[in-house]
Amino acid sequence: RRPPRSTPKPSSAASDVYKRQVHGDYLIDMESIDWSQPIRDGTTIMAVVYDGGVMLGADSRTTGGALIYNRVSDKIEPIHKRIFCLRSGASAHTQKIAQLCRLYIGQLGSELEETPPVYSAAKIIQSFIYNYKSFLSAAMICAGWDPIKGPQIYTIPLGGTLVRENIATGGSGSAYMSGFCDTHYKAGMTRKECRDFMIQSISLAMFRDSSSGGIIRLLDITKDGVSREYISHDQLPLKQNNYSQSCLLYTSDAADEGLGVDLGGR
Amino acid sequence: GDVYKRQGLRICYKMAGSGYDYDVSTLSPEGKIYQVEYAMKATENSSTIMGMVCKDGVLLGTEKLIVSEMMVSGSDRRVYSVTKQIGMVITGLLPDGRCLIDRAKEESASFQKQYGIPITGKVLADRIAQFMHMNTIYLWARPYGCNIIIASLDEGTGPALHLIDPSGQCFGYFGCAAGKGRQIARNEIEKLGSKNLTCKECAFHLAKILHKCHEEMKEKKFELEMSWICPESGMVHQMLPKDIQKELEARAQETLEKEAMADVQSQIMKNINICLLYTSD
Repeated sequence: RRPPRSTPKPSSAASDVYKRQVHGDYLIDMESIDWSQPIRDGTTIMAVVYDGGVMLGADSRTTGGALIYNRVSDKIEPIHKRIFCLRSGASAHTQKIAQLCRLYIGQLGSELEETPPVYSAAKIIQSFIYNYKSFLSAAMICAGWDPIKGPQIYTIPLGGTLVRENIATGGSGSAYMSGFCDTHYKAGMTRKECRDFMIQSISLAMFRDSSSGGIIRLLDITKDGVSREYISHDQLPLKQNNYSQSCLLYTSDAADEGLGVDLGGR
Repeated sequence: GDVYKRQGLRICYKMAGSGYDYDVSTLSPEGKIYQVEYAMKATENSSTIMGMVCKDGVLLGTEKLIVSEMMVSGSDRRVYSVTKQIGMVITGLLPDGRCLIDRAKEESASFQKQYGIPITGKVLADRIAQFMHMNTIYLWARPYGCNIIIASLDEGTGPALHLIDPSGQCFGYFGCAAGKGRQIARNEIEKLGSKNLTCKECAFHLAKILHKCHEEMKEKKFELEMSWICPESGMVHQMLPKDIQKELEARAQETLEKEAMADVQSQIMKNINICLLYTSD
C-alpha cells in the first residue's frame, strides 16, 4: 500500500470547486485521492458447513486504494434459490463472474426442472477464473444446498482450482483469522455455535486488516430456506477503535461485561 | 393406387400429397406436413426397437435382419452408449440414426464440460428432439428418418425412457416400441407391467417379445441386440453379456413354441367340442 503523502492545501479559487468535497466537517481534496487504484473487495469472507446447512459471512468494506468506496457493501451474491457465492478480489471481475454464473445456472435450473447442483455453479465460476486467469483477479467461494449432496462449499482461489471444503475462508483478512479458525473450528456445529464462531472470526480479521471492516453480513442456507442478517458496528465483539481490548473469550453463552465484549446475543 | 403422371421432365406418383409434399417447409391445406409423415413411414417398415423401465433399471432391445451371410456378427450396431448411464437405440434410416448418436455424444460431453455433472436422460432427449425438429422447418434440409429410444438411469430421477420420432416429438415412457412389430410389442409390454419386475426378469420377456415380433418373417435370419442399465451391469449402460443373451433367447424360443402349441391344442379342443355338439343327439 502507498505511504500517506502530505496533501497540499486545496485551492480556494471558484473555478476549482470540483476539486473540493465537503464530508461533514472535513474538506477533502479530490486531487489527492489516487483514482488509479482498482476498486477491490479487500475483504474477509468465510463459509462454514454446520449440522443442517451452511452459513456464509463477509465484511462490508470495498476499497479503491486508501478510499473506502462502500462501507456497507454486500459481498454475498445470489446465484440461485439455494446457491450463493462470496466475492473477493477486484469488484468488477467478481461481479461479472457472479452475474454470468447466475445466467448459466438459471438456464440449467430450467432445463433440469429442479434445484441445480452447487457443484455446477462452482464449475462455471472455475471455468471463468481458470480460463481468464491472466486477466482476472478474482477469488470466490461458492456455497449452497442441493437435494443430492446436502450443504456444500467450494473454494475457487486465484489460479482457478476447485476444492470442496467444510470450512472456507478468503480475502486479505483471512490470514489474520486462520489461527483462530484452526483452533476453534469443529465439524457438525449447531447453528448457534456456527454463528458465534463466524462472528468472532470475522471481527478478529476486521480488527487487524485495513481492507476489511464495516459490518458483518451473514447468510444462512438450509433445506427450508435462506435467511440474512447483519451484525452492526456497535454489536461487534471487537470494536475497531477500541485498542484497549486485548483478551477474547470464545464462549457462546458468556455475557462478558467485565471485558466490554458484547457477543450480540441474537 | 399409383398413377404415373408426367409433369414436364418429372415423373411422379400421384399420392395423398398431391403437390404439398415436395418440401418440408410446406403445410398442406389439412394442416399436415407430408414430408414428416413420409419420414415416419421410413421407420414404420424397419426393425423393431423397444425399451422397458423396470423396478431397478431400464432395458433396450432391437431385432435386426441379417443382411448378408458374410457379415461379421455384431457389426451392424443399433444400440450405442452415449454416456456411462445413457444408451440409445435407432431404427429407420440407420445412417441418419448414427448421425444423431454422434450428436448426442457431443451434447453430453459439452454439458458435462460446462456444468460438471453428467447429462440427465430427459435433458438429452429434449435436446436431440429439438435437433431433429430443426430439420423439419427449413427448405434445404430433410427430416431425420429414424425413431430413437433413449434409456437413462440418473441419480435423482431413476430409470427413464424417451421415444423421439422424426417430427421431433419426445415423450417419456415406461415402455415403448417403434418399427414394424410395434403393435405386438406395445400390447405385450402393457400386459407385462414391467415396473414391478427386476431387470433380470424383464430381460427374458424382452427377448420373448422381440422373437414374437419377428414371427411373420420366420424365414429370414435375424439377430437380437439387447442392453441394460441395472445393478447386474454395475449401474452402467452395457450390452447384455453374450452367454446371458444366448440363454435368454433359447428360453424365449422354447416358451414361444410351447405357447404356440398350447394355442393350437386349444383350437383343436374347441373344434372337437363343436363337432360333439353337433353330433350328439
